[in-house]
Amino acid sequence: MASVSIPVAKPGLLSQMAGWMTTVDHKKIGIMYMVSTFFFFLLSGIFALIIRLQLMAPGMQIVDQNVYNELFTMHGTGMIFLFIIPMLVGMGNYIIPLQIGARDMAFPRINALSFWMLIFAGVVMEGGFLLGGTASGAAWTAYVPLSMKQFSPQSGMDIWLFGVVLLGISSTLGAVNFLVTIYTMRAPGMTMWRIPIFTWTMIVTAAMVLLATPVLTAALIMLITDRNFSTQFFTTANPRLWQHMFWFYSHPAVYIMVLPAMGILSEIIPVFSRKPLFGFKVMVVSTILIGVLGFTTWVHHMFVSGVDPLVERFFMFTTMVIAVPTGVKMFSWIATMWKGSVSLKTPLLMCIGFLSTFVIGGITGVIQGAIPIDMQVHNTYWVVAHFHYVLFGGSVFGIFAGLYFYLPKITGRMLNDKLGKVHFALMWIGFNLTFFPMHILGLEGMPRRIATYAANRGWDLPNLIATIGAFTIAVSVLVFMINFIINIMQKKGEIAGNDPWEGATLEWAMSSPPPVYNFARTPVVESDRPMIEIRAKASGSNAPGHTGSHN
Amino acid sequence: MSAKVSSVGTLTKLQRREDVTPPRMYSSTLVPKPNTGLIGAAVFIVSESMFFLGLFLAYFFMRADSTIVVRSDQPVHPSLVLPLINTVILAISVAAMTFAERGIAADKQRHLVVGVTVAVALGLVFMLAQSIEFSRFATQGFSPSSSSFGSTFFALLIFHVLRVLAGVTFMVIVLIRSLMGQFHSWRRTAVQACTLYWYFIAAVWLVVFLVLYTS
Repeated sequence: MASVSIPVAKPGLLSQMAGWMTTVDHKKIGIMYMVSTFFFFLLSGIFALIIRLQLMAPGMQIVDQNVYNELFTMHGTGMIFLFIIPMLVGMGNYIIPLQIGARDMAFPRINALSFWMLIFAGVVMEGGFLLGGTASGAAWTAYVPLSMKQFSPQSGMDIWLFGVVLLGISSTLGAVNFLVTIYTMRAPGMTMWRIPIFTWTMIVTAAMVLLATPVLTAALIMLITDRNFSTQFFTTANPRLWQHMFWFYSHPAVYIMVLPAMGILSEIIPVFSRKPLFGFKVMVVSTILIGVLGFTTWVHHMFVSGVDPLVERFFMFTTMVIAVPTGVKMFSWIATMWKGSVSLKTPLLMCIGFLSTFVIGGITGVIQGAIPIDMQVHNTYWVVAHFHYVLFGGSVFGIFAGLYFYLPKITGRMLNDKLGKVHFALMWIGFNLTFFPMHILGLEGMPRRIATYAANRGWDLPNLIATIGAFTIAVSVLVFMINFIINIMQKKGEIAGNDPWEGATLEWAMSSPPPVYNFARTPVVESDRPMIEIRAKASGSNAPGHTGSHN
Repeated sequence: MSAKVSSVGTLTKLQRREDVTPPRMYSSTLVPKPNTGLIGAAVFIVSESMFFLGLFLAYFFMRADSTIVVRSDQPVHPSLVLPLINTVILAISVAAMTFAERGIAADKQRHLVVGVTVAVALGLVFMLAQSIEFSRFATQGFSPSSSSFGSTFFALLIFHVLRVLAGVTFMVIVLIRSLMGQFHSWRRTAVQACTLYWYFIAAVWLVVFLVLYTS
């Protein structure tokens, strides 16, 4: 008998797209965050390559100086606002509900709203540049009066400001969502000290976003009305108001960008060392301390702006103090690997890349935290070297560590480890080739944000090396993309299985990729590393795979 | 294998772990669920207060900086009549919202409708009074574009009145939903969140009033 076929045909492309566009599933939204921010990463990376080509040799002119200004502005804002921050938010979006044993975020629809506002903001910010040929050229700091109508008459400046306001609202809503999710939706038994460390870092990050972002939003709105509706916020002779409001957000933003990466590290290093994280509680407390102290250091960006010397000294002190909890973390990670059964897979290599480069960025940060040194190196390439060691050497290595670690869970396929190692080696070498010479350039007096330079300054060789390094990084990213395309998109990679790395947290208890509803039954958490018991029970053994506890 | 399982306790194959654990340990439906919406509203209000902190930062920056001549254009003694009336209006509306919220907590639908209606009306009166205040300042040559101080002064007032507009919109939605009978003592998160937000708006007004008019 010809059966009555129930129409269960594979959904067509259109309905699949509609499915993605209307989804409120935290996993799909997380994937969309990661994919779209990776495209912004590539775009901002191309901008960086053009910048490096221009600076390869003295007197080169690939783009004119106005376009050059727009390029480094869009490179900076693209990397910060459209790549690092939302990429880490995307990873959190995917991982946090799984880690805490929840079915979704607390507000799934607000979650989708945050994502689509980010995309809209990204298109607005970049669209002015790519379609209209106009972008902000006032650097990511948008200092007044440079960013006022008088000196930045182009509409790209307004478009940029509008985009950043949207991003601010998007990430504020995201922060509310994360905090409420983690506070209310943890699995039964997940007490304060059983919250996984990545989730802890996202708590502190979200709190910082919540407290810092609205101040920037206020400043941006004030600048927009100054430019367009003849208000007078920033027209006074004193330009420091903008700087205070901007850095009140943008210094905490550094920790917003690096804390989740530190959380990823703190997840990966114990797994690949077969040891519990050394000093779990100390790690949590140092994360909170960084979050609190992060709000007390912003004036160190303004040591040449004429702030009261007494105030400057206070901020010099706090700037040096914040290195202490950061140092505690460095020692904790090293102590975790110490005498562990270390397996040098790509995720751990990326973590070691983080440790080796971030420590330099941290140390240069303390060095330039001293007021007299800061006055010397302010606005030179030294600063560019410093913050790339923090944000690329820190956050971006952390992001790639997280991608190698979590992509098997997200996609169900393993990435190729050999290609991963090639990626790591090229990126680490390219990174240091690019940014280490910038320290020397800065000490030699090369100012940042200049479109070209004269030949007789002794800046030629370090600049050439930096350009070679930048293209090495580009090649390393291509290797990653090839690895991704072959092994994940074309499904040539090994099947990951539930728990390819023998992780410690709940996300490894479920299939890869996890089902739409996450956990069929709400899990009960009985320790700080629930997977140890789950594995022990599954293998019918009472002896856990590796013993020890945080407590 | 079965010998190992018995070490957990008296589990047999048919009994799952949950069946021998006290219910509170595993069933999230039996413990009172935290009020996610209300907590979300509270966290959102924290970010709202940081927004106002930024505006206050700008305001005090202008006042503290001796190079900026402040209040050159502001009426030396701005009249306290309208802002005082407005303070009373907001105080009554806060009482009305509290009455509404307490009412629905005791399943008194009429209290809810009456309380929210009064609060909406008072919110509208507040906005009307503020617009009178703005135009009065404008006739005295004091406006957002008259000076840096004027900009920060009006930024606080305008962004506050925009919050009042948002709050009134929220209350109208709550009013419509309560007329449709959607709220009960066990289902009133929107009412609670709306009340909380209205408290926040009133508290901000108090600070704005004290700082702008009396300090």
